[in-house]
Amino acid sequence: MEYAAQQIINALSFGAEYALLALGLAIVFSVMGLVNFAHGEVIAVGGYTMVAFAALVTENPWIIIFGAVAAATLTSVALERVAFRPVRYADPTTGLLTAFGVSIVLQNLFLLFISPRPIAVTSLYFLDAPVTLFGIQISSLQIFESITIFVVIIGLVLFLQRTTLGLAMRAASLDFEMVRLTGIRADRVFALAFLISGLLAGLACIFIMARRGSVDPHFGFNPVLKAFVACVVGGFGSLPGAVLGGFLLGAIEVGMLVMLPQEYGGLKDAFVFGIIALVLVWRPDGILSPATEKGDKL
Amino acid sequence: MTLTRGQKRGVVGACMLAAILIGIGVLATYFASRYQLRLIYSAYVNLIVVLGLQVFMGNSRLTNLSHSAFMGIGAYAAAICVTPVAMKQIALPDAPWGLNAFALDPVMSAVVALVITGVIAFLVGIFIVRMTGTGATIATLAILVIVHSIFLYRTDIFKGNQALFGIPQVFSLTSIVILAVIVVFIVRGFRESAWGVMLRASADDETGSAAMGVNVVRLRLIAWVLSGLVLGCAGIAYAYFLGTISARPFYFNHVFLTLAMLIFGGMRTVTGAVLGTFAISFGLEVIRWLETGPVIIGIDLPEVLGLSGVMLGLVIVLTMALRPVGVMGDREIEELVLRNK
Repeated sequence: MEYAAQQIINALSFGAEYALLALGLAIVFSVMGLVNFAHGEVIAVGGYTMVAFAALVTENPWIIIFGAVAAATLTSVALERVAFRPVRYADPTTGLLTAFGVSIVLQNLFLLFISPRPIAVTSLYFLDAPVTLFGIQISSLQIFESITIFVVIIGLVLFLQRTTLGLAMRAASLDFEMVRLTGIRADRVFALAFLISGLLAGLACIFIMARRGSVDPHFGFNPVLKAFVACVVGGFGSLPGAVLGGFLLGAIEVGMLVMLPQEYGGLKDAFVFGIIALVLVWRPDGILSPATEKGDKL
Repeated sequence: MTLTRGQKRGVVGACMLAAILIGIGVLATYFASRYQLRLIYSAYVNLIVVLGLQVFMGNSRLTNLSHSAFMGIGAYAAAICVTPVAMKQIALPDAPWGLNAFALDPVMSAVVALVITGVIAFLVGIFIVRMTGTGATIATLAILVIVHSIFLYRTDIFKGNQALFGIPQVFSLTSIVILAVIVVFIVRGFRESAWGVMLRASADDETGSAAMGVNVVRLRLIAWVLSGLVLGCAGIAYAYFLGTISARPFYFNHVFLTLAMLIFGGMRTVTGAVLGTFAISFGLEVIRWLETGPVIIGIDLPEVLGLSGVMLGLVIVLTMALRPVGVMGDREIEELVLRNK
């Protein structure tokens, strides 16, 4: 019983991390139809900022955390200005390949100007303390993660439902031309989507850093790979889908770790992706995909 | 058999490309050093990969990121079949199912490898072709990861990141040039065939072409399997020349590289695939030379590792921003050379 509860909490915290990342991808995708491959590098920028802050400025973890989130947010907005503006109204494949290119450039810039080797940051380990809750041993990190995703979801829902810009963003996912005709500036909507995406990447970065404790050029790659899969499973462009996909992926991953015999441990990813493929056979566009109207193509 | 005008032009265009490929091959044979020969050989292997990629991506406009995995499957299947028993006993002492107790001649091995690649491509393709745009792309990414983790995990069959050695060297530069020419004809032939035309139409307007009776899913599957077979050929050629393979080359770096080649030249045409491959292959060699920090007109340049990666990414980003259809766009070689009729 305790073991089961523990695994469920593990699944929840993994799921929360994937959901954070998947939301960051989905919010950009829903507004401009861009599959942002460079999201992982935004996370890596957050990680490197931590390194720089810890080494040069201060050891105070709260300042480090703030710095990382701010850096990730700024990077995301800057990428929109520099790289994604020219492909704003292009077809999805063009945007996807651009993001792919940006991702490669950033990864190699890290390699070139920082270091190909991992750099350690130890100042966040305090987040990962063991806690006993109702007789179950869990890590405080897992609690923080679950709370964060909860707060983020509530915040996003409030923002999207209650504010004019939120309304514009929701409308943008349906018909961008109409949004512009109502006098909302397109630049602002795009910048905001990337800002939120970067903010989520920064938050995710903290949790990943607290767990791993070091950053290297390919830091964001694997988590974002999982987040892509979460997005696809949930339905690309659907925010609830991204959250659902993230938690589903977390559950499958922990389930695989628990149920697979030890000697198949190396095949975990293959099994996880295989199960995801089967979900996609059932719903090729993801579980909560927004309805596409193919008839009104001009 | 009567050919349509497009098909006749296709034959002319394929012959022109073939002449260029053979020309480069002949020049290389006479003037290149041993080291340069290897580079040119790998450029031809990449050319076949890019052509295989073009068959699916160029005609259906779905992005495929799993191509290196299929190349790997072809390479491993051929390598395991063709390696002599004595060598395999050393290289793969623990291989199951008697994999290390038989050996086939190169032609049979290639056939077996193609059948295996084709069957796997077909089974995977059934899933892929049903999905739309982005979902399909990420699903192909998942395939790449799955195949790679199997290569890494089953070290008793694939040796993982270690080298699987002892593969006899069957291919030379001449054989790869001949193979590349054949593949150019196949790929261009598919583009101009009724299937290729219908598939391209469905990429332009899925609903419209479906209303005209085009079975989009079936055509995509055909292109996907053909693409898998061409990639299998590339893998076989890779293994047959190098004599040793490992899982590492069939992963993301190679995916980036070949994708950049296709995008730069223009994925919609076969000419674009050829142009992109050679432009980037030779361009990268220059950058790699700069990476090592050479001395140019008296200035000692610093060593800059990662420069080639930055350039590769920039090529993709700039192509997408300035000319998303690639250098060639919708034009094939014969449309540049011949007058427009």
